[in-house]
Amino acid sequence: MSASPTGEVDAFRYVDRITRTMMKAHIAREPVGSIPWTPLDRPLSECKIGLISTAGISLREGQRPFDAERERRDPWWGDPTHRELPWSATAADVRCDHLHIERSGVEDDLGCVVPTRGLERLVDEGVIGAVAPSWFCMMGYILRPQDELVPVTIPRIVAGLTSQEVDVALLVPV
Amino acid sequence: MGLVQRAVEAAGISTLTLSPCWEYTRSAGVPRIAAIEHRFGRTLGRVGDAEGQLEVLRATLDALVAIERPGQVVHLPFRWKRPPPGAKRRSFAPAPIVGHLARRPWQVARFLRGDIPEPAGP
Repeated sequence: MSASPTGEVDAFRYVDRITRTMMKAHIAREPVGSIPWTPLDRPLSECKIGLISTAGISLREGQRPFDAERERRDPWWGDPTHRELPWSATAADVRCDHLHIERSGVEDDLGCVVPTRGLERLVDEGVIGAVAPSWFCMMGYILRPQDELVPVTIPRIVAGLTSQEVDVALLVPV
Repeated sequence: MGLVQRAVEAAGISTLTLSPCWEYTRSAGVPRIAAIEHRFGRTLGRVGDAEGQLEVLRATLDALVAIERPGQVVHLPFRWKRPPPGAKRRSFAPAPIVGHLARRPWQVARFLRGDIPEPAGP
């Protein structure tokens, strides 16, 4: 990629026509309300960073994969669960079951969607204070969040980040 | 992801989403967004380009510090370049819902209304 002159990003440049239509319809339906706000109260160099991905990644050993087969059988359904992975996990340790992205690249290089190694380098440089001991992954395609994502999965992720005592959570959807 | 970000922020943790589709992320009412014009599945950058990914990460954290009001979007300056000669070409099948709606266009209206059917069961 290249650094170009600043300008507004085209949010739909790489989105196919059907998906773009679906997303724009969703955007039009969403009500505008208040936005939660926790100010950053210390320099990044003193912050512990947590991480959440929506890439549908799980450990090859010891974790159940995200349920791609059920989504294939019922295309309106997306796996609403989450996984917690050790920060040290590498591409060789994981599998990706997200059906809306190209998966083999993620399994070759985790860093293209999960910046664990990059954040470690920034700790070494003193840019950030520390990283969490683990990161959280969920599936980005969930059309009925009210069923399980909101009442079950989100509270568990929040509890996990809180127990990690992170100051900042970086979210990286795919 | 927007619902997750809102809940984490409300719990007292500052958050930022690095989004390849910032208008969609913004519609959830999230506090901070760094917008990037990258392909889905390559949010940080190209496979094998650790230095490029790190450059994106630095800019993302700069955006986190720069955002001073809830709902602000910082547009990152990175654009996707054509792959180098000989680069591995990867393709993938459309998502199940895309194929499903392509074969059943009469259900598109239902989707656009947000009328999502209850799960069929495991």
